[in-house]
Amino acid sequence: MKPNQPDLVGEYLHEVDLRLSGLPLLQRRELLADLAAHIATERTERNVQSEGELIEILERLGSPEVVAAAAYEEAGAPRTSAPLPPPFVPARPTRALRKGLWILAACSTLVMLFLLCGVLTFRSSGDGPAPAEATVAPVPPSPARPASPTP
Amino acid sequence: MASGLRRGTLEFCVLAMVEYEDRYGTEIVRRLAEEQTLAATEGTIYPLLSRLRRGGLLDSKWAESPSGPPRRYYSLTPSGRSALAHFRTEWVSFRQTVDRLVGTGEIA
Repeated sequence: MKPNQPDLVGEYLHEVDLRLSGLPLLQRRELLADLAAHIATERTERNVQSEGELIEILERLGSPEVVAAAAYEEAGAPRTSAPLPPPFVPARPTRALRKGLWILAACSTLVMLFLLCGVLTFRSSGDGPAPAEATVAPVPPSPARPASPTP
Repeated sequence: MASGLRRGTLEFCVLAMVEYEDRYGTEIVRRLAEEQTLAATEGTIYPLLSRLRRGGLLDSKWAESPSGPPRRYYSLTPSGRSALAHFRTEWVSFRQTVDRLVGTGEIA
């Protein structure tokens, strides 16, 4: 039995691909095909059976971050052009969905803040003196009587 | 060793590997990654092969393998050959100069 072996390779290649978004499409495809061929060749030539051996192959290839960094370097692309996703996100809903949720959350937070400010301004302008003073810690009274120097 | 120097010379090690016979990617990558001094992880060599191919120094073609998945064979182009020859000349005088200045030459 070969538990999850195709998944492990697929996951690895996907993690590399995620980090190559700043590269031209054909260069991305080329690198992924090269890596896939490398893994397939290694598995055949080393007669890999266990998942542990497969992991060793992937470790020798290098982490997706390292491989992607080399790809940018060799492509001559400015490394800053590709925003790198956080390393190894295990479960991923589609990125568009996630982005949408973030925007929604940000917008609703802004609206809430705006409303809150409005309410506070309205209230404080009606109440006269701002209640801010109450929150300020009162200055502690000076010690009752400092030991006066004896003449 | 300075990574810039390492990176700048690694590509000529690649060119030299296919000087006399075509080799497939995994073969090249494995061989170079074995050299500790070069400190090249296997996966980082594929982008280098890609650049050399795009720059016209290497040619590549996919071929069926007798036992296993298809292999991508790399060969040296004429301009790759002359780049390698040029590097050999430059490298020798570069090495001699550095040896003289840093004091790493052979003890006479």
